[in-house]
Amino acid sequence: MIEQIKQHVKALLSDGKIFAFVGLKDQDGNVVPHLFYAAEDVDNGFSLGEVKDPGDSRYPISRIAMTVLAREPEKSFGVLVRGCDDRALNELLRWNQINGSDRVVRVGIACPQELANAHECRKPFPDDLIAGEKSQPVENATVSEVMSKDLGERLAYWTAEFNRCIKCYGCRDVCPVCFCNTCSLEEDKLIRTGDLPPENPIFHLTRAVHMAGRCIDCNLCTEACPADIPLRTLYKKVAQIVLDEFGYATGETGEGKSPLNILGPAPGHTSAND
Amino acid sequence: MKKLLEFSGIDPERLNLKWVSSAEGPRFAQVVGDFVEKIRALGPSPLGSSTAKSANAL
Repeated sequence: MIEQIKQHVKALLSDGKIFAFVGLKDQDGNVVPHLFYAAEDVDNGFSLGEVKDPGDSRYPISRIAMTVLAREPEKSFGVLVRGCDDRALNELLRWNQINGSDRVVRVGIACPQELANAHECRKPFPDDLIAGEKSQPVENATVSEVMSKDLGERLAYWTAEFNRCIKCYGCRDVCPVCFCNTCSLEEDKLIRTGDLPPENPIFHLTRAVHMAGRCIDCNLCTEACPADIPLRTLYKKVAQIVLDEFGYATGETGEGKSPLNILGPAPGHTSAND
Repeated sequence: MKKLLEFSGIDPERLNLKWVSSAEGPRFAQVVGDFVEKIRALGPSPLGSSTAKSANAL
């Protein structure tokens, strides 16, 4: 699979279709995000994020792509995408954080089934697949598990989970669709700052509300959380509500705005970051 | 928002969203009065007893 991807990326670079490729690199045994400029560079440590097992190094690569795209507003970039990165790019385009869908050349890889299972992934492959076999989507079980409890049990469950929070903002910082310049979570008037654990459930519910129409279900937040708070279960529920109420499936390709983004220009016009 | 509250174990009846125009003074008073009655009937919030911190905050 990796050889196929390498050939594909080399061709894109040498044909001048892309200015550079946002991918992953194996550097001294660690996988890190890397910008490949020339076809020769691709032979040097190109990685699909495998240290021991497939996909054990995931990064919010779409967020990195957003940054480099804003820095070179005239150029096109290739991006290594899994199913989740694909959804994140769709959402960033809709929110006008990336200007021009033609500037993003997606190089899609499918995730192995074990990774999809581990992350309860709803679509472990991007729309356009360059290499790999499509794995089976995994059913959403965590939300119904919480829903099977009664109201009091749910509150006790979430209170116990939230109270482990050390307020590291890891969930926000790793999130591929958190792009605001100022963050409500740091606003003392909304949520008292300087408290540990943070004021709950306000802190986590505020973030959950802000994930409406944005969360693309990549599980990076839960993976990053040092306190193992099942944040993703909360955001999965939010995404379900957005789907039920607005008929909006977050992260899918398409024109038009996210239902909670009523201000500002339509997608493709101008970007706050450009 | 109500559905999210329900999911996190908070009675959605404790949240009330109503659109009231600035020209509708009596209606505003009515809406607030009704909601105060409702909250009184529901009693203190379970969040108050769940953690000492939120007890201070509420």
